[in-house]
Amino acid sequence: MYRGREGQWAFYLHRISGIAILLFLLLHVTEISSAMFGPKWFNALLAFEENPFFGVGLVIVAALVLYHALNGLRIILMDFTSWGVRSQRQLWYAVWTLYVLLGAPLFYTMLSHVFGGGE
Amino acid sequence: MALRARRFEEAKRLSSNNLELAWWVFMRVSGVLLVFLVLGHLYFRAVAFNFHRDLTYDVVAQNLSSVTWKFYNWLLLFLAFLHGTNGLRYVIDDHVASARLRIWTKTILYTLVFFLVVLGTISLWGWNYQLPR
Repeated sequence: MYRGREGQWAFYLHRISGIAILLFLLLHVTEISSAMFGPKWFNALLAFEENPFFGVGLVIVAALVLYHALNGLRIILMDFTSWGVRSQRQLWYAVWTLYVLLGAPLFYTMLSHVFGGGE
Repeated sequence: MALRARRFEEAKRLSSNNLELAWWVFMRVSGVLLVFLVLGHLYFRAVAFNFHRDLTYDVVAQNLSSVTWKFYNWLLLFLAFLHGTNGLRYVIDDHVASARLRIWTKTILYTLVFFLVVLGTISLWGWNYQLPR
C-alpha cells in the first residue's frame, strides 16, 4: 500500500527537491559573496546571468522550493496532529492544489520577466 | 541514522540518542521558519530588484550593508545550511551502502558547507562595500 503510491512519491520528491535546493544554495552564496570582488567583476557576472538559461533555472528552483515548502508543512501536520497520518493522501492532493494556486501566478510572472521583456 | 518516525512520540521512542531527537525537532522547527524567511527573501528581492531588472552591484552592496538585512540574511544562511546539510546527511545514511563512502561523502559535504557559511558570514559582516554616493 506504500510503494508506488502517493506517499512514496511525496517522499522521493521531497528528497530530490531538497538536494537540488542545497546545490542551488551553494552556488547562490558563492555568487552573492563574490560582490566582495567589487562592482567591475560583479556587474559582469550579473550581465552574464541575464542569459535566459539562468532565468529558467531560477524558475525551476522556485518550483522546487514551493513543492519542498508545501510538502514540508504536510510532513509537520502528519508529525504533530492526531489525524495527519490518516489523511496523508488527502494532504498530498491539498499540497498540489495549493501548488497550482500559488505557483501559476508566480511562475507566469517570473517567466514573463525572463522572456519578452515583461513590462 | 536518520529517524523514520511519523510522530513526535514515535521519534522519541526510536531515536538512538538525544542528539538525533534534537535534529528531528530542528528539521520541523527550522522548516516552518524557513518557509516564512524564504518567502520574505523572494518577495523583497523581487520587489527591490524589480524581478532582476534593476539588479546591479549597487543595490546588492546596499542590501549587504544594511544591518537589518545582515541579520535576516545571516539567519537564513545558517538555518538553510543546517537544514539542508542535515537533510543530505539523512539521504547519505539511507542510500550510501558502504561505510567508507559514507564517511567520505559526509566529510566533503561538511567541509564544503563550512567554507560556504564562513564565506557568507564574511560577505555579510566582514566587508566594506563601495556604496553609491
